[in-house]
Amino acid sequence: MPAARRAALSWLEREQVFKWLPFVPVQALLVFLLLPFVLLVYLSLVSWRITRGVWWHAPFVGAANFAGAVQDERFVWAVIRTFGFAAAAVPLELGLGFGLALLCRERFRGRRFYTTLFLLPMMIVPAVVGYDLSMLLIDQGPLNQILSLLAGRPVTVRWISDYRMAKAAIVGADVWQWTSLVFLIVLSGFAGLPPDPIRAARAMGASRWQIFRYVELPLLKPVLAIALVLRSMEALKIFDYPVLLTEGGPGNSTETIAVYLWRVGWDFTRVSDAAAMSLILMVVVVMYTVIAIHILRRERRQLAEEAAR
Amino acid sequence: MKRRWLVAFVRHAILLAWTAVTLIPVYWMLNTSFKHSGEWVTWPPHWFPEQPTLENYAQVLTPGSTIFELGRQTLKVLKPLWDSLFTATASALVAVALGSALAYSWARFGTGGKNYPYSVLTIRMLPPIVIAVPFLVYYVSLHLLDTYAGLILVYIATSLPYVIWMMLAFIEDVPSELESAARVMGASRFRVLSSVVLPLTVSGLVATFLFVFILNWSELLLALTLTNTQVSTIPITLNKFQSVNEGRDYGPQAAIGAIATLPVVALGFLIQKHLVKGFSFGLLRK
Repeated sequence: MPAARRAALSWLEREQVFKWLPFVPVQALLVFLLLPFVLLVYLSLVSWRITRGVWWHAPFVGAANFAGAVQDERFVWAVIRTFGFAAAAVPLELGLGFGLALLCRERFRGRRFYTTLFLLPMMIVPAVVGYDLSMLLIDQGPLNQILSLLAGRPVTVRWISDYRMAKAAIVGADVWQWTSLVFLIVLSGFAGLPPDPIRAARAMGASRWQIFRYVELPLLKPVLAIALVLRSMEALKIFDYPVLLTEGGPGNSTETIAVYLWRVGWDFTRVSDAAAMSLILMVVVVMYTVIAIHILRRERRQLAEEAAR
Repeated sequence: MKRRWLVAFVRHAILLAWTAVTLIPVYWMLNTSFKHSGEWVTWPPHWFPEQPTLENYAQVLTPGSTIFELGRQTLKVLKPLWDSLFTATASALVAVALGSALAYSWARFGTGGKNYPYSVLTIRMLPPIVIAVPFLVYYVSLHLLDTYAGLILVYIATSLPYVIWMMLAFIEDVPSELESAARVMGASRFRVLSSVVLPLTVSGLVATFLFVFILNWSELLLALTLTNTQVSTIPITLNKFQSVNEGRDYGPQAAIGAIATLPVVALGFLIQKHLVKGFSFGLLRK
């Protein structure tokens, strides 16, 4: 081995160098991606449209874009609606995912069949799910056929053209696809439960319900917390389902934040307005993030304390 | 005895109901993809194609980009399929390599401070639409718009939080005594990584890779913003289809959906065992 190479290797071996090796490229990437945020702030303070010359010549307008965004009823409603979708979909996903994992945790005939199948939806492209449901939900579609069979009379639910049903369809799409992820997270939580506390509780004569309620559930709490954080994070970004299933309609009844900002930025070319709205949205998300991270840190700290004991 | 039978009955009834909910949409997509155009919308809907056909697949899988026929535009998927495969694989590989090295460094040396994984998580919390607007302007000036490199860079960044959090769980499971022992016996740090840590975290790496691959394979919004004609992924193609034909070209779209779904599902079933291990995110007591 040449001396130079050996010297280089031993330099890389030093703890102070070694531990920073992965941080350099990651931080470089993060800085590279941070620059657009500076640009975002700049664009939100000027008045620029894609159709109106180059962006660095755009006139400075201060907070006017922000004032406009707050007064834009369509924007405010899109924010409320998106939180509404998340508030409807995430508890359903957690409940269904947890319940199904509970039924699948023990060995029984057919367990492998069910667990394999239940993981299917999370592997499908969300755009495909949106499109696929648009086929199922047409007025003369198979879902209305099934409902008619169950009801014993012709039923035609206007899934796409009725504004309440369209909302339900978006929530349904999210629940259909992402219950599988919650199921997987909870199932892997059950699989990773430490056997000793459960055995001890059983030896002390605890009933199955008591073991579940006072031993297993507290141990699973951190896993449920991460499922909640991940899913609510992603649910606030809903974009693919409205775009492919309802195109935000009927009217604006399924227009989420992402869909509306997309329209403002690209379809209406009001880039500066979109930038101001994006910044407002960022503030909302950051507040939410702080809460979510607080929950996660508390759970991990408790684990560390218990491990130290 | 009777009670046990009842429990089994209720369990299977519930699980079968959810099986139906899971399978019907998937089945319907496959069903439609084998139908002639006359059967796409009928009342009552046909649960089996009367004359099964492969013409939808043939249409979308021929080379070229697009054809117009009878006022309909049929898009081709060979190029998008390759683009999706390439960007998703490349970004998942880099993200898994970087992210797991970072998770290792953080778990062993506390590099970056106590809160580093939490601050990385904020990347994932930002809705992509927020960065979409300035990114277009940014990428135009860097000549990264509509290139593989541009899309891959963004995907690496958005995948890192998941990689770090999933890999932390596996790395914390590796006993550090084992590593110290190897060090004492004279192994270099890189040797410890390749001979001790790597074999013990393989299933984690596999599960993480698949999950991140699926995320990037499926991503629509950023791809729609940052690509144009040179690069075009599967979700974009499906979306274009929906808008040019007002969503009435059911057969070829179903074929695209099936083509986009099958490889991922096949991969997922192959590594299902690893998946179940990989999703507790280091949040269980040892």
